[in-house]
Amino acid sequence: MADRIFGCIALAIALGYGFIAFTIIEAPFQYDPLGPETWPQILSVFACLCCLYIIVLPDGTRLKVLGSTLMRIAILLILLSAYAYLFEPIGFILSTTLFCLVLSRILGATALQAVVFGVASGTFGYLLCAVILDLNLPEGFILKLLRGLS
Amino acid sequence: MNEVLAGLYTGFGVALAPMNLLYVIVGCFSGTLIGALPGIGPINGVAILLPIAYSLGLPPESALILLAGIYYGAEYGGRISSILLNVPGDAGAVFTTLDGNPMAKNGEAGRALSLSAVASFVGGTFAVILMSLFGPMLASVAIHFNPSDYVALMVFAFTCLASLVGKNPVKTLLAALMGLMIASIGIDANTGVARFTFGVPDILAGIDFLVIVIGLFGMGELITLVEHQITGKLKVLPVGKSFVSLKDLAVVKWVVFRCSMLGFFIGVLPGTGASVASAVAYGTEKRIAGKSGENFGKGDIRGLAAPEAANNASAGGAMVPMLTLGIPGSGTTAILLGALLLFNITPGPLMFQQRPEIAWGLIASMYIGNLALLVINLPLVGFFARLLTIPQKYLTPLIAVLAFIGVYSVVSNPFDLYMIIGLGLFGWLLKKMGFSLAPVILGVVLGNLFEDNLRRALSISGGDWKVLVESSSSIIIYVLTVLILFVPPLYGRIKKSRMEKKTAE
Amino acid sequence: MKLMKLAATSLLCTSLMVGSAFAAAIEKPECIAPAKPGGGFDLTCRVAMLGLKDQLPSLMQVTFMPGGIGAVAINMFNSTRTDDPNAIVAFSSGSLLNIATGKYGQWTENDVRWLASAGADFGAVIVKGDSKFKTLDDLMNQLKTAENSVVIGAGGSVGSQDWMKAALLVKSVEKDPKKMRYVAYDGGGDAIAGLLGGSIEAYMGDVGEMASHLDGSMKILAVMSPERLPAPFDQFPTTKELGYDAEWTIMRGYYMGKNVSDEAYNAWVDAFKAAYATEEFATIQKEKGLMKLNMAGAEFDADVKKRVERMRGIAKEAGLIK
Repeated sequence: MADRIFGCIALAIALGYGFIAFTIIEAPFQYDPLGPETWPQILSVFACLCCLYIIVLPDGTRLKVLGSTLMRIAILLILLSAYAYLFEPIGFILSTTLFCLVLSRILGATALQAVVFGVASGTFGYLLCAVILDLNLPEGFILKLLRGLS
Repeated sequence: MNEVLAGLYTGFGVALAPMNLLYVIVGCFSGTLIGALPGIGPINGVAILLPIAYSLGLPPESALILLAGIYYGAEYGGRISSILLNVPGDAGAVFTTLDGNPMAKNGEAGRALSLSAVASFVGGTFAVILMSLFGPMLASVAIHFNPSDYVALMVFAFTCLASLVGKNPVKTLLAALMGLMIASIGIDANTGVARFTFGVPDILAGIDFLVIVIGLFGMGELITLVEHQITGKLKVLPVGKSFVSLKDLAVVKWVVFRCSMLGFFIGVLPGTGASVASAVAYGTEKRIAGKSGENFGKGDIRGLAAPEAANNASAGGAMVPMLTLGIPGSGTTAILLGALLLFNITPGPLMFQQRPEIAWGLIASMYIGNLALLVINLPLVGFFARLLTIPQKYLTPLIAVLAFIGVYSVVSNPFDLYMIIGLGLFGWLLKKMGFSLAPVILGVVLGNLFEDNLRRALSISGGDWKVLVESSSSIIIYVLTVLILFVPPLYGRIKKSRMEKKTAE
Repeated sequence: MKLMKLAATSLLCTSLMVGSAFAAAIEKPECIAPAKPGGGFDLTCRVAMLGLKDQLPSLMQVTFMPGGIGAVAINMFNSTRTDDPNAIVAFSSGSLLNIATGKYGQWTENDVRWLASAGADFGAVIVKGDSKFKTLDDLMNQLKTAENSVVIGAGGSVGSQDWMKAALLVKSVEKDPKKMRYVAYDGGGDAIAGLLGGSIEAYMGDVGEMASHLDGSMKILAVMSPERLPAPFDQFPTTKELGYDAEWTIMRGYYMGKNVSDEAYNAWVDAFKAAYATEEFATIQKEKGLMKLNMAGAEFDADVKKRVERMRGIAKEAGLIK
């Protein structure tokens, strides 16, 4: 069942892709024999055929995911997105500290462990990557403030 | 030939000075460190460390030697995260994860790390030797490789894909098509028309390969880890004191030899680099292994040695058109360009005449860099392998942090961070649905090369499809394609029937 | 050193406005080449890297942001890095052409701050050393028989300045550029490989990139400059003197994000002006095959805007925009 659903979603995407390829993509004037549209057109046709095959003749793959697992993965994704969202505004150190703290706590670390681990990864990560290896990481407002005062 | 030897003599004279040896060791070590971050491979690693190296005010030859150390160190560093964490360190290391990580999961992290170091060393050294001996000749052959020949090469690569087939061939095909479709996003290189960008500026240039790799593999792995953790499937990985044995080397010696050759030649071609070389090498070896290749993807040492040798050999191969013709093509040569231009040396055909000490010093430093990689990293294998003993509750967040650092520090675009999260979810779903990610990556790697060269070939011929089979190199590649498709199964059948005969007797 | 002082002063002045306090300091100078390595943008960045070596606090890093013929860079500097004080982006008249033809979507010449020039370069008609085309006339006579009888290649897509060079050439003999057989490569390096390998017969390149290729493997039939160039390119005739009205000047320079603070912008302008005054900068320009064209700040900004306007006219003529 799961692969049928997957096949249907994939088919919808492939059809959308094909629709764009057949109708929207167009060069101002054709100078190469294939143009920008032919290749995506070929791809979309093959992709649609593959999806149809999967829908008609599924191989019985099941999506073996428990509800609680799904919940955890959703939390993970939200955490990651929050990390990405905060990465630049509040800087590497703080965002990494928070992210590592929360995720390790969820994964079973005690509160103390999580705090130590979070702070350590934020500061040591920044020291190692931005200071020693000179990588480009967002410093965030705290460091900016500190440097502004000094 | 005498010229080459004399040149090498000069080069080694420079490179073997004690201070220079120290630089190569320092470079190799810091390169390993920075290369171990997912996403930061040799290209970005050197780009990042180059200004530091320059600010030290070293003489050109010392700086080049330091650079070679950093380069090979970063190259090797990328293997560490590929093998231990299943997060490819850079674009060329994707295929290293396929067998390297299963080995680590079987408790053979040390064996995998040391084997990959040896295979890298052999591939890299092989390439440098070929380069110093036959460089100019090879370069003139390589540039006669025309767009139709590239199309033939792509056909060959996709035929090798047939060997990556999982349980369901249709799913493999669909996975490859997904990769090709992802590759078609962005501005078309021929007409400048934007395709499938929906007005999002960040994907106008297409989705960066690195972002795809870190997303699909790295973030996908992260989600899998969390899932297993919850379902209790996750065991603490055993870290045995395994190390590559002479028996292992005997098993892979021909694999390494073939893949070094293959990787080198693919590297020499302008426009194709480490990712194409490792993909083709992996597929070819799996084909050649035939029946015994079933373990590929489950921790087969041949599956680890093949992409590693090819990858490093292609890096050497890419130097050939650069040094002899002044044609930069791949990322590797970008490094060289940057470094050489700093010292007011323009790489190209005239370099060997104008600044022989630099030209040969560079080549000698490549020999030494390769060796340093082996000498410095082999003793550290045990240390790196112990990374796996970090408890999962800490290792999992760290993977995310490393992936973020790798993706962000290269282009500094926060959009890429969301991209890897989305791609991670996509990769995880694909794995769940019984798809293999390798064909997706192959599609992404080869998609633009395939399309652009097909269109170039047809532009040149004015729309005549015959152009695709007109050159002798194309025909040779097509013949090879047919051979790789039919010989291994046939060979297997003959062997089987012989065995049956024997048992019947 | 001067820059550091300048930065320190402005830092004191604005220390209360935390956000912009550091904008003034050029801490980690970065030049973005919006292409793959080895092309003209790469070259442009190298000029800044080497030329401003003594004017900046640390050595400039060159990063590559390939694809989209520069669209990605301009988009990024209009979306996420509009106020990045450390980064300058290389551009060429090709980028201006893209602005003129609307390739960069909504972004126009008023959406970035034009900073300074690196120099000028000129188009060149290049063939293989042993080509059957010995002179530009040979090539043009062939083109006169039919537009599609010569396979012309270059490192840019249709509508790029590489294509324009070919189109202008074809147009100069009253032929239709839309009918020519044009092969688009991904950058000059690949196109040169195509020329040497015999896939294409003529390559519409730039004079500058030929500096390291003057070893006889390739031959410049003509340069597309208004007048003869200085040595070592003085031996090559111009298209104009050969009787073909096909001139293409490539301006190379740098821009910054629109919201970069005046302090940072002026710091960069001063750095460039200081560099222009040195003998070293002239040497670097020459080595990289660039002709002297030194302009920075407001003067440059005005000049660029004028050029874009002129290109709109040319693009309309060539049928690229309606």
